[in-house]
Amino acid sequence: MPQASEIAWLIPVFPLIGAVLSGLGLISINKKINNSREIVSVGLISFVGVSAVISYKALFEQVNGYQSVEKLFVWANAGDFTIPMGFVLDPLGSVMLALVTTITLLVMIYSHGYMAHDKGYVRFFTYLALFSSSMMGLIVSPNLLEIYVFWELVGMCSYLLVGFWYDRDGAAHAAQKAFVVNRVGDFGLLLGILGLFWATNSFDFNEIAKGISQSVSDNTIPIWAALLLCFLVFLGPMAKSAQFPLHVWLPDAMEGPTPISALIHAATMVAAGIFLVARLQPLYSIFPSIQFIIALVGTITCFLGASIALTQMDLKKGLAYSTVSQLGYMMLAMGCGAPVAGIFHLVTHACFKAMLFLGSGSVIHAMEEVVGHQPVLAQDMRLMGGLRKKMPYTSATFLIGCIAISGIPPLAGFWSKDEILGNAFISFPAFWFVGLLTAGMTAFYMFRLYFLTFEGDFRGENKELQKELLIASKLNLDEENEEEHEEHGSIHESPWSMTFPLVFLAVPSIIIGFMGLPWDSKIANLLDPEEADIAAKAFELKEFLPLAIASVVIASAGIIIAYQAYFVKKINLSVLFAEKFPSINRFLSNKWYLDDINEKLFVKGSRKLAKEVLEVDSKVVDGVVNLTGLVTLGSGEGLKYFETGRAQFYALIVFGGVILLVAIFGFQSPQVS
Amino acid sequence: MLGTLGAGLSNFPWLSASILFPIGSAFVIPFFPDKGDGKEVRWFALSIALITFLITVGSYINGFDINNENVQLKENISWLPDLGLTWSVGADGMSMPLILLTSFITALAVLAAWPVKFKSKLFFFLILVMDGGQIAVFAVQDMLLFFLTWELELIPVYLLLAIWGGKNRQYAATKFIIYTAGSSIFILLAALAMGFYGTEIPNFEFSHLAAQDFSQKFQILCYVGLLIAFGVKLPIVPLHTWLPDAHGEATAPVHMLLAGILLKMGGYALLRFNAQLLPIAHAQFAPLLIVLGVVNIIYAALTSFAQRNLKRKIAYSSISHMGFVLIGIGSFSSLGTSGAMLQMVSHGLIGASLFFLVGATYDRTKTLKLDEMSGVGQKMRIMFALWTACSLASLALPGMSGFVSELMVFTGFVTDEVYTLPFRVVMASLAAIGVILTPIYLLSMLREIFFGKENPKLIEERKLIDAEPREVYIIACLLLPIIGIGLYPRLVTESYIASINNLVDRDLTAVKNAVKTNIFSGAKTNEILKAPTI
Repeated sequence: MPQASEIAWLIPVFPLIGAVLSGLGLISINKKINNSREIVSVGLISFVGVSAVISYKALFEQVNGYQSVEKLFVWANAGDFTIPMGFVLDPLGSVMLALVTTITLLVMIYSHGYMAHDKGYVRFFTYLALFSSSMMGLIVSPNLLEIYVFWELVGMCSYLLVGFWYDRDGAAHAAQKAFVVNRVGDFGLLLGILGLFWATNSFDFNEIAKGISQSVSDNTIPIWAALLLCFLVFLGPMAKSAQFPLHVWLPDAMEGPTPISALIHAATMVAAGIFLVARLQPLYSIFPSIQFIIALVGTITCFLGASIALTQMDLKKGLAYSTVSQLGYMMLAMGCGAPVAGIFHLVTHACFKAMLFLGSGSVIHAMEEVVGHQPVLAQDMRLMGGLRKKMPYTSATFLIGCIAISGIPPLAGFWSKDEILGNAFISFPAFWFVGLLTAGMTAFYMFRLYFLTFEGDFRGENKELQKELLIASKLNLDEENEEEHEEHGSIHESPWSMTFPLVFLAVPSIIIGFMGLPWDSKIANLLDPEEADIAAKAFELKEFLPLAIASVVIASAGIIIAYQAYFVKKINLSVLFAEKFPSINRFLSNKWYLDDINEKLFVKGSRKLAKEVLEVDSKVVDGVVNLTGLVTLGSGEGLKYFETGRAQFYALIVFGGVILLVAIFGFQSPQVS
Repeated sequence: MLGTLGAGLSNFPWLSASILFPIGSAFVIPFFPDKGDGKEVRWFALSIALITFLITVGSYINGFDINNENVQLKENISWLPDLGLTWSVGADGMSMPLILLTSFITALAVLAAWPVKFKSKLFFFLILVMDGGQIAVFAVQDMLLFFLTWELELIPVYLLLAIWGGKNRQYAATKFIIYTAGSSIFILLAALAMGFYGTEIPNFEFSHLAAQDFSQKFQILCYVGLLIAFGVKLPIVPLHTWLPDAHGEATAPVHMLLAGILLKMGGYALLRFNAQLLPIAHAQFAPLLIVLGVVNIIYAALTSFAQRNLKRKIAYSSISHMGFVLIGIGSFSSLGTSGAMLQMVSHGLIGASLFFLVGATYDRTKTLKLDEMSGVGQKMRIMFALWTACSLASLALPGMSGFVSELMVFTGFVTDEVYTLPFRVVMASLAAIGVILTPIYLLSMLREIFFGKENPKLIEERKLIDAEPREVYIIACLLLPIIGIGLYPRLVTESYIASINNLVDRDLTAVKNAVKTNIFSGAKTNEILKAPTI
């Protein structure tokens, strides 16, 4: 058998074959394939399983010191240009591959239970396979261009999956928002890639870094241009990894089925951005100012996510903002020049966040039996409570997840988060402080979620509250929902296919932190042996302990407040805080007003602009070219148009302005002789 | 045995056959019986279109050498020697892919026209005539002949628009003919001027014209005229307003031909005449092409977003995509120009598929207004899937052809040392805004048609049946090359890259000469001369 590292290109190919086969089946023999859903799901799980086996074999080879493999072929050429494609397998890639295949497999098993009654079962599995395939392809990409290709494919799959329940308006909007916001980032990424190619004639990560540092020291390209290119490329990860201010799509993406949320939030999609920044470390490490920007964006995101999560009442949204916040930590690590710490947190976070999301799915699945298939009700924590007794596996694993993410030793989250905070303390003490504060907030809101959902008494039968919530959500209730309302079920634990992944993920959530002990970090040894050696030698308990104690103390404080407020109910936060600082409370529960700004400024703005341009097109351009415009201009209608059409007039000016640019920047020759 | 057969095949007049065979066969159609539902005519037209496609494939396989940048498959017959008119056809790398595209899309359009029952004999007659006529446009090697084919080809399109179509079809058809015929006067003028340039006996052959040393002023005059003529066809904003009307009224098969092939005539002609025959003027006007390309991309994307009529929306999206062709042609790099070629092929396939789907959807919903649709996806799932696939192709998703061509244009333009850095930065950034705008209007469109709650009125009044096998087959035929090119673009680019390299070399020489003769500002001379040979 060949070395797995040599055949790593097969890893994305297997799920792709599976997805293509079942996709073709859906188009050609729709009914038959929907009737044999188990065959499809088992088949697709096996395809991903084969990829997982190869991935783990490759990981072990890399751990045992097998060399990195890179193979390329010419994909497109013209003149002297060639664009190579191919695959690369190195330690970073092997870690990510193992992670992605594992999470995907578990999510697929889980989906078998979660989507059991959905008529789109086969379609869902097809998308899942395609999604994982794109993500694996992204990981084995040897250059920026190929990354961009898979980057877009990942975005497309998320579009398909978030909009999976296409009869829901919310899902339709969320899917589109996810795609478009990501395209805003891709706009920068594409320009950045093109610019870097112009500057260095290469798409390769290391060669770009070499080429840029060479050009900057030779003064062949100005420093501002290099910085701009680095920043443009960073826009891509900002959108994909939901960094402020491009994070707005991620909480909305909750409209997709919960297994997808787990996959998006843990191993695919959002991980892609962090991964790309890690890949580009050779480039970013040249420019401290870019590092600073990355760290700053990370810190803002980290704080913002946690602060919004404080007030969320929707279980899934709460978790979503928690992901935003944790992604901020990872980005902070990247900015501190500690990609290993960032990737380590990515891995640990993937385990417990996947588990938490799958757990919330299990809760929603149970809630739907009582309140009906209405996300506004099934996901609202005001209707939950007391689920621990009915759902032992779900609640136990959820609790483990909460402890892990709060950073209580010795669970996974403590080690990775502390690694990041330690690095931040050295590089940017101010950011360390914000990170520390956020750690406390994290512990608070996570345990708030836990207590509200699993402890206390069950509130789901409260019809009045249900009605209130429905009215508050401004959904016009039609009869359909009323009917669903009537089905009276009771809360019960989910089937094995759903609890198994939860229990399985609980294990790494507890122990995977030991892979990255600061004095003997296995993950650092794999990813960056030299750095790991230095770090291990420099390790001193004296330095480690104060920081570790600080973060444990603040996390415990958060947990205790949550315990007091939501479990024993000794303190009433709404009296203590919300009523005293109503503006802050409003600010937080309106998500910093970012969604509103987005809606008003960009969505409505672009619509308005488009309408104006269309008006110009049909009235002015068409008219003038038809020569009828001259007539209308003379008539009253023309006058009216120019009186009221100021905006259109501006659009015309802009239009003319573009053409004016020729005169300014033009060719080398300004004039025709 | 096989050897002699091979030699015989390469001497076969492939191109004349592919032009004359469909036209000749079309004249059989009037002899079909009038009664019945026109089944025989449909099958006849389909087989003729398929045979034509096979002939063009045969010409590519047997008589075309992709490593040769010159015109091949040449046939020269003196026609009217007094006028200097010769039947001169041939194909180089720029013609060949478009000839194949034409015969391919036409065959699919015939299949798409299966439900046409009204005057079906005349309809298929016109489609077959158009097939030959369009191949002729791409294959002729004589400028006067080019003008004639360009004009003749308008007649079937006019009739197809005027007889079959929506309520405003007369208006749309008239507008189309006035715009195109009116502007093509410039082609005739330019052809006459160039053919008579410096000689007593006119000669309109491309090879002759290419060897001519036109003066700069002469080139500029011809260039401006031709730019207007071809700008209407491509179309270039602001000469585009005939297109939404024509496309908005056409039936689906005609629509496929309009978007798939007709628009490509403009791009092809810009390459063939403006860039190839008038290099000195091209060196002057190329920046304008870039700017116009950027305007096309953004302007048409915005108008498309605001459109509430499905057909017009897609029509405007075509205009937006043609902007990349303009940038590619103006880029002076083989990568960019090659991207322009690929964009034409790619949009031919994607545009045809989207317009076919518009037609198929209209057959069911009987409305094109987005406000009257909603939640259609629940009844028409396969249709939804096909729409999604084609829309993703259109928004340049990697793995599909549109992405590769746009990427080639971008990369070619950005790495091109002929233009100043600020110009490139500004233009590339503006063009990249299209990357954001395109998904906005396409995904909004999908959302409004297929997502959400079902529109009760629509469900009640119309029977929404899902896609039938014929429709799936047509889209599959179009998606296969779209994905094929997306995965391995050299499938297509290899066929024309030699010719494009040749063309770009010629244009670059013109730019450099312009520098030497100090037309370009002297200060920047060095920078241009040390530009890497692309």
